[in-house]
Amino acid sequence: MNGLLGVLALLGLLTMGVPIGVAMGLVGMIGLTLLVGFEPAMIKSGVVFMETYSRHELGVLPLFLFMAHICFAAGASRDFFDAAAKLVGHRRGGLALASIVGCAGFGAVSGSSLATAATIGLIGLPEMRKRGYSDALATGSIAAGGTLGSLTPPSGALIVFGILAEQSIGKLFTAAIVPALTQALLYMLVIVIVCRWRPTIAPPAAKASWAERGAALLRVIDIAALVGIVLGGIAVGWFTPTEAASVGASLSLVMCALRRKFTLPALKTALVGTLKTTGMLYTVILGALIFSVYISFTGLAEQIATLIGHFHGGPMITMIVITLLLLVLGSVLDGLAMMLLTTPILLPIVVSLGLSPIWFGVFLIRTMEVGFVHPPIGINLYVIQNIAPDVPLSRIFKGVLPFLAADFLHIALLLAFPAMVLALPHWLS
Amino acid sequence: MADVNLHEQSDTQAMQNPAGQNPLERLLFYVGSAALLAVIAVEALSVLGRHVSLPLIGAIEIIQALILIAACASTVFATLRAAHATVRLLTNRMSTTVQRRLSQVNAVLAALFFAGLAIGSFWLARDFWNAYEESELLHISYRPLRAIATLSALSTMMIFLYGILQREKQR
Repeated sequence: MNGLLGVLALLGLLTMGVPIGVAMGLVGMIGLTLLVGFEPAMIKSGVVFMETYSRHELGVLPLFLFMAHICFAAGASRDFFDAAAKLVGHRRGGLALASIVGCAGFGAVSGSSLATAATIGLIGLPEMRKRGYSDALATGSIAAGGTLGSLTPPSGALIVFGILAEQSIGKLFTAAIVPALTQALLYMLVIVIVCRWRPTIAPPAAKASWAERGAALLRVIDIAALVGIVLGGIAVGWFTPTEAASVGASLSLVMCALRRKFTLPALKTALVGTLKTTGMLYTVILGALIFSVYISFTGLAEQIATLIGHFHGGPMITMIVITLLLLVLGSVLDGLAMMLLTTPILLPIVVSLGLSPIWFGVFLIRTMEVGFVHPPIGINLYVIQNIAPDVPLSRIFKGVLPFLAADFLHIALLLAFPAMVLALPHWLS
Repeated sequence: MADVNLHEQSDTQAMQNPAGQNPLERLLFYVGSAALLAVIAVEALSVLGRHVSLPLIGAIEIIQALILIAACASTVFATLRAAHATVRLLTNRMSTTVQRRLSQVNAVLAALFFAGLAIGSFWLARDFWNAYEESELLHISYRPLRAIATLSALSTMMIFLYGILQREKQR
């Protein structure tokens, strides 16, 4: 009962607009005080504070954020889009396909859905509209493609889940590669089908020469190598995620300098962006960890697991119920808040069903992404509308609908075939 | 703390001086940035050293201390820039008066949370002060680290309280 009241209080505080980390931490502190007394609650909070803020593995977060900011300063987003546009832009829907490739590529350095949608949107959207693409397809493909930023490793969401669930961040990164690739492929399939069905919505453009294509590919070779070294290094065990992040950050500085984009104001802007997001994320993680301690004290997760056990539905039925719960929560809560709220409660249940926490982490983030592209939260829709204010929100959502169908199919595939997530880390280990 | 800026700077302002307009913001920016860049350098050197059989002894201990400094500075910095993540689904649809009142309540709650952290962290620091805690290899003392953590929680709490007073004055 205590745990349930805590969850309800947390939902109340979140809807009041209390900062996510503060709401979780405060509910956790007050809940612990009621359960074990003031002194132990404060001391436990102090212990979690010190442990979290000095945690070596958590250092991966600011380092990858810094790498993303430097890559952005080096013009990585435009280059990814340009290379893909030169390769497939002449086909029907080619620029929409290029946006998906651009989102996947930039997602691999930005680690954020919002940043990916905003950045590729600024580049891809004017280009598609200039070439006569339908507003719905142009905005929908970027809003949906942006969600790739949350899953494509090294993703911020995967890092946060890894810390909360005490799982290997390296394994999570490796496990997310196949789901991110299949998600991008499904989106591209959607574009091909939609363009076959209604060819007028995405007219073909002039074909780029092989020399132009080669030049565009050469411009992304350094960033592709950077992503390859970081992810490949983690996957094959050359370095830990924190080491990979620091190698990535150092190499991104070198790359930025080689591209003659390294200036003091650019470095300052990157550092300011990194510090702001780091402060926000550390507060959120700290709050979530205090909340998680409180939830484990209440025994809420065990009680829910026992309740589920009474229904004898088996892992698949339970997971379908959990998926529906996540989708509903994702449509009213911010993605990060949803992940932080549900992880301490659902993870023990999933583990008790005999399922892998690594699989659950990737699955949870994949489910969370759906909330980014549909109302009422649908943050990516607002980001895109901000870039194209003349396109109504309803039209952007219309464009997202076919991608939403692909999302549900992808979630069903991940549920039915956990090997899509687990095979690669297993094979590489 | 008279000119503490609790609101997001305008883009033009940020372009002119990304580090911030007031001394506290600038100090936090330089401390946090230095710690972050030092983490990058130490970790990269440690990887390089390991691969050329010249391991950097105690790299993890240095990094842990630097990360704590960067994290503490960035938490206060994010608070000054009002960059904490919130869910705005409902509040965005409320009147400005209700929004203003809610933001006051939220600031009180945030101050309470950081006060709790400061109390917990101070309690631990006091208990362990004479235990001379230090890291194993490089003997880095935990005393200053505990002091920094307590100070950052206390500063964040004060920024939230100062924001409440500022908004009350503006009414």
